[in-house]
Amino acid sequence: MLWFLRGIRRGVVTTRYPRARDSWAEQLPTPPAFRVDLLTPELAARLADVCASGALRLQNGDLLLDLGSCTGCGDCVAVGGEAVVPSGEFELASRDRAALVKRIPIGERR
Amino acid sequence: MNEEQRLAGELKERTYRLFGRSLHIRTFDSGSCAVCESEIRLLSSPYYDLHRLGFFFTPAPRHADLLLVSGPGVRAADTALLKTLEAIPEPRIVLAVGACALGGVFAEDELVHGRVDEVVPVDVYVPGCPPSPLALLHGLLVAVGRLEEKVEVLRFDLREEATA
Repeated sequence: MLWFLRGIRRGVVTTRYPRARDSWAEQLPTPPAFRVDLLTPELAARLADVCASGALRLQNGDLLLDLGSCTGCGDCVAVGGEAVVPSGEFELASRDRAALVKRIPIGERR
Repeated sequence: MNEEQRLAGELKERTYRLFGRSLHIRTFDSGSCAVCESEIRLLSSPYYDLHRLGFFFTPAPRHADLLLVSGPGVRAADTALLKTLEAIPEPRIVLAVGACALGGVFAEDELVHGRVDEVVPVDVYVPGCPPSPLALLHGLLVAVGRLEEKVEVLRFDLREEATA
């Protein structure tokens, strides 16, 4: 491909972040998101077991997701099937370490 | 109490104004695997172009406003880290960068602290392994008060209707 033509067509190569997100940003390795209705206690135990960095653990019947510890390795996505998907969120910086720990309820409780 | 809060708010605003113009970053590697460093270095590439936002890297801690710490906090680097922090004039910001620095990868033992906030006070935590340059930019802009934190409102438990 003629790269200089691409450059002329697109103009500036510099990212427009933070004004606009790059289109590829959602493909970055990111922490998982969970389909709560598909999550069973057995699957949650398996996910906590498979998580190498200890970002997923069980507490009081809920799954705790520590975004700070998560390395985005994708093991839980591979094990979880439809219940676990990559979240695509990378803007996770926080002043509060405790805010990075998210509580995921297991199963639908209405 | 109210007066104190007002003064604290005023001080915060003044600090942010100081930091808003141009801000110099000193990086510190406390035993990371160098992938965080590779992402940090990408910030000064033409694509991310850190300078357009007024951030610059400096090798001298005395010229720095912000300390970017990566790695799990190797005990052998404690002295160097504390000296670097002391050499940075107040007001200063400390960013912990990467899953190691946040306590994700290494457990505490006789070699590492396992997390950076055991050694130095951390102002902003930037998760990721490694954090993408975009995540680092977000962390930097949050640290100087130019972007809001998002993690409080982000949901990681999806309901059926959310994905449909």
